[in-house]
Amino acid sequence: MRITNEILPVSQSSILNPQSSILPHSQSSILNPQSSIHVPRVVITGVGIVSPFGRGRAAALDALREGRSGIRNITSIDTSALNCRIAGEVPADAHEGLHRGHDRFTRFALIAAEEAVAQAGELGVEPERVGVLIGTGLGGCETLDGAYRRLYAENGRIPPMSIPMSMYNAASSAVSTKLGAKGLAYSVVSACASSAHAIGLAAQAIRADQADAVLAGGSDAPLTTGIIRAWESMRVLAIDNEHPEAACRPFSADRKGLVLAEGAAVLVLESLENAQRRGAEILGEIAGFGATSDAGHVTDPSADGAARAMRLALADARLEAGAIGYINAHGTGTRANDATESAAIRSVFGKDPPPVSSTKSMHGHAMGASGAIEIVSSLLALREGFLPPTLNLDTPDPECDLDYVPHTPREARVAAFLSNSFGFGGMNAVIAVRVG
Amino acid sequence: MIRIVTRGEIERTLIALVRKEKEIDEERLTPGAVLAEAGIDSLDSLTILFAIEEQFGISIPDDRARAMKTFGDMVDLVSDLVGTGETGLRIED
Repeated sequence: MRITNEILPVSQSSILNPQSSILPHSQSSILNPQSSIHVPRVVITGVGIVSPFGRGRAAALDALREGRSGIRNITSIDTSALNCRIAGEVPADAHEGLHRGHDRFTRFALIAAEEAVAQAGELGVEPERVGVLIGTGLGGCETLDGAYRRLYAENGRIPPMSIPMSMYNAASSAVSTKLGAKGLAYSVVSACASSAHAIGLAAQAIRADQADAVLAGGSDAPLTTGIIRAWESMRVLAIDNEHPEAACRPFSADRKGLVLAEGAAVLVLESLENAQRRGAEILGEIAGFGATSDAGHVTDPSADGAARAMRLALADARLEAGAIGYINAHGTGTRANDATESAAIRSVFGKDPPPVSSTKSMHGHAMGASGAIEIVSSLLALREGFLPPTLNLDTPDPECDLDYVPHTPREARVAAFLSNSFGFGGMNAVIAVRVG
Repeated sequence: MIRIVTRGEIERTLIALVRKEKEIDEERLTPGAVLAEAGIDSLDSLTILFAIEEQFGISIPDDRARAMKTFGDMVDLVSDLVGTGETGLRIED
């Protein structure tokens, strides 16, 4: 475990002493010095990912280290009716034949959850104290697309499993059932911030003693004809069918939009005490969670909403801005997001912001799964001592004036990072992570 | 064009459909076999009914579906419905 006292506000000795009063919020102890409310710290002991890079942590880490794009021509559906024929598609060999009988987004969640749990090892807690929170932006798109095709274009009969397969909590349900997790379980939906909210809520559930461990993350599989056409109608897709790997260009002046993607990532979160008791390797800590609403435009982002979420996450983690060594940006590659997010980061971090990158330039925008995919990607890279890059940042934009780690990974030692996720509807979630 | 099917053909088709959805020994699917006791739960039944509708081109009313308790009921149900409507099938004992 590489978490040290220097970067932890609560001393190791008090954590090891179960009788001590551990209050992560110093103000609380000032107001009530006799308080014995015990607030656990929440650590990460397992991560799993299935992404455009393939199945598993190793595939993701290799691509991040090489600065290799996973964006390619779509092969899982017939694209003849589409203008946009590229995406961050999960390769067929990463999932085919696994977890049949579920929607694609549920199958991804199961694959990621199994990898995370295998890494975490035996949790040593009652199943009733293990929760599951899988966020999703769009739920069972594949199932609904197939059902609607039958309804409107074929014989009108809808398969009877369409409802349980397409419901937004299908992935949480399947993970809970597969792993026998009987504690709190639901899904979290906030468009492209869904899995970041899920991870934040999971950490809060452990802090509130509602669970000893939670499998938290996100999954989405939006690559259906209907969903892609709907995104085409919004005119925010970067369409370069001849050069898929060059399409997503976050923070570059010539950026044209986002590239849709799919995948899942799941983290095993548990109390620090439990992890230490069972001798688990601590990969990191969910230190803080900030959530805000723009209460403004449904699709145009606000720098204020994003900045407030970052400040809340820092305050929750009791981290100074200067303690953050890296920010994984929402960084969609749209004109609106990248300039607004850059301004928000500048407003929080002032003259000396940390390096920022958008791994979406490599894996695309996996909707509600993106927050979890990006937290896992960041953790994998930072534990190996490098910052994942922003690909295709060829032309600096005066409105995007930060250090975006362009083109290639960079060696760095980082103790803590932020992961930004901003969803349509003006919903913002920022997670502060200490690197283990 | 009308195709004549026999009750035996329907039974054989139904055995195949049920076994495609659920791993059940063929010998267990006797006319008196209670579907629930054979391990076919309510959700399995829905999937099997859907497959039957697709296979025979029929629509099974909800009340008839709810009344189906045994494999024999299933054969009766399909035999009744196959001979009606515009399925292109005619039942022959």
